[in-house]
Amino acid sequence: MMQGPTGPATSVATTSPVLRIGGVGKRFGTFTVLDDCSLDVAEGEIVTLLGPSGCGKTTLLRCIAGFWDADSGSITIDGQDMARVPVNRRPVGVVFQSYALFPHLTVARNVGYALRMQGVPRAEAARRVAAALETVSLTGFEDRYPAQLSGGQQQRVAIARVLVMEPRVLLLDEPFNALDAKLRGTMQVELRQLIKSLGLTSIFVTHDQEEALTMSDRIAVMRAGRIEQAAPPDEIFDRPATAYVADFIGSSNFWPSLVADGRVSLPDGQSVATGLRGAVRVMARPHNLQIAPPAAGPWQGRVAFQRSVGPLVEYHVETEGGDAMVKVVAMRRAQDRGFADGTAVSLRIVDPALCAVYPA
Amino acid sequence: MAEASYTAPLATRGLGERLVDALLSGRGIWPAVPAIIVLTVVAVIPFVILLSLGFSDMEVSRGAIVSQTFSLQHLTNALTDPLYWTTFQRSMTLALTTTALCIFFGYPVAYLFLIGGRWTRRLILVLTIAPLLTSGIVRTYAWLVILGGRGVVNSTLMSLGLIDQPLRIMNTHWAVLIGMVQIHLPVMILPLIAVMSRHDGRLVEASANLGASRLGTLRTVILPLSVPGIGTGAALVFTLSYTTFVVPQLLGGGNYLNAATMIYEQVVYSLEWSKGSVSSMILMVTCLIVLVAIALVTNHFTRWTKGRDA
Repeated sequence: MMQGPTGPATSVATTSPVLRIGGVGKRFGTFTVLDDCSLDVAEGEIVTLLGPSGCGKTTLLRCIAGFWDADSGSITIDGQDMARVPVNRRPVGVVFQSYALFPHLTVARNVGYALRMQGVPRAEAARRVAAALETVSLTGFEDRYPAQLSGGQQQRVAIARVLVMEPRVLLLDEPFNALDAKLRGTMQVELRQLIKSLGLTSIFVTHDQEEALTMSDRIAVMRAGRIEQAAPPDEIFDRPATAYVADFIGSSNFWPSLVADGRVSLPDGQSVATGLRGAVRVMARPHNLQIAPPAAGPWQGRVAFQRSVGPLVEYHVETEGGDAMVKVVAMRRAQDRGFADGTAVSLRIVDPALCAVYPA
Repeated sequence: MAEASYTAPLATRGLGERLVDALLSGRGIWPAVPAIIVLTVVAVIPFVILLSLGFSDMEVSRGAIVSQTFSLQHLTNALTDPLYWTTFQRSMTLALTTTALCIFFGYPVAYLFLIGGRWTRRLILVLTIAPLLTSGIVRTYAWLVILGGRGVVNSTLMSLGLIDQPLRIMNTHWAVLIGMVQIHLPVMILPLIAVMSRHDGRLVEASANLGASRLGTLRTVILPLSVPGIGTGAALVFTLSYTTFVVPQLLGGGNYLNAATMIYEQVVYSLEWSKGSVSSMILMVTCLIVLVAIALVTNHFTRWTKGRDA
């Protein structure tokens, strides 16, 4: 719906893209898993495929890797069509969800696997394995077996195993799923820095929006086999192209409204311009709302629930009409907890320009 | 189960009740006691009697043992008798060949199961398990029909004009070998399938992604990981083929002498129980030696499973 967010306009490529996904479709029986997906990935760019499970993100990844064939459309890497290139000849490295390390091979032999399959001479292979292990800070672990490593170390072996074959495109399939929450945050930052320092063109699959916001240069939000919007994280967050994206990324408030003379009126009396007509839905982020003691104004309410989220306080405000629960986020104040449950408050939108308008 | 009996106050509980308690939920050796009793009666005692028969000189009078003295005579007799050597050698060769052929024919089936779709897998499972539901004797008789003078094989070959006279397959070494391989094949395939399907399918994908061909993946990933299955299957097939009695007896036409048929003749026809006892002993010891060898080789190739908790 709306303007085609996946077209060349949103691509940050200045030269021709490394990976070009053109109108890829895939069906399983009568079920359409991928529907006309197009995406260009530039040299050194990290693009995240983000969406709920079953949205087709893993399917797209598997089509790029060559585990599955796309039914329609094309996938090209460096201008070369991948359709006839078998899985073991594609310049693509996959880091699997559970890492898929070979349990019967030592760390060194896992990492050297690709070189062994290519028939790289032993001395050179050993040198490259050592270099890859150094890159992921696992020097000294050469003779361990995967089962003797921690989850974080296993992930690094999986990355080194792929790095050693110098792929043109790196594919990461939910690589943090197997790690505990605390380790996850650190590993995300580390992995992004590593990929960036190596300048690897990467596709990263996840259902976790925080992970996507941390890892990506661009996020492609997927829904039911289609890419809804592909844009840098800030743009996705501040100007979501569709109501679905707005709802999926971050938290949001929606109101139904009507367009009159090219403007939509907001609940606090302000208005915002739009090109749409008729019935619409307006979206405002909780941090774009201001909560204040009751004052003269059209938008009054009562605090129904509040909780502290780190340095922020999240309020759920029951508004006069009683039809919507409005979420507001404010900085926590040192002395008190702001507004107690049941307190009467008034609401205001800080910047109407940051409200998004979608067809109803 | 046994918790209920704990509700009875200690003083009122009888000896029997406490014994049942100990057997069901006691500590140490108690829960194993019933099994130990059964095994002692049906395995250990007969085994000791068998052993005593082989290592003693007996005087038998009117069907009863009058006196028994320790002797190694039967063992030395057996070990110096060329008939024993050729018979055990034949059994050993047959069993090892059968084991090797079962791996050779069974492995591709298990591999097909691994890479196959849902229906391929079902078909393989049904075809593997179905023969196990019939008795070995029935399956052996089926080979009589197939391999006989006027059997399927010969009539087909003759009608194709490839041969003029029926080939003599029945009652030869080949008939025994063919029957043995077919009958023991499922015992090889099932452990292979069990081990193979336990491993993550992503390993195969990872291997392909890292540049391995199908053959490369088979050689460097699937084969090494299925070694435990090969070991289990080989141990089972070897034990069954080395000690088999029915197949050589029926397909060998009564003149194929292997260890088991020899023991049968010694015990049932010539009533030389001491000889039979010593033969059984040799059969068991040689079988154990091969099983230990199989275990050592399997262990060598699965060293990676050891360091798990290190």
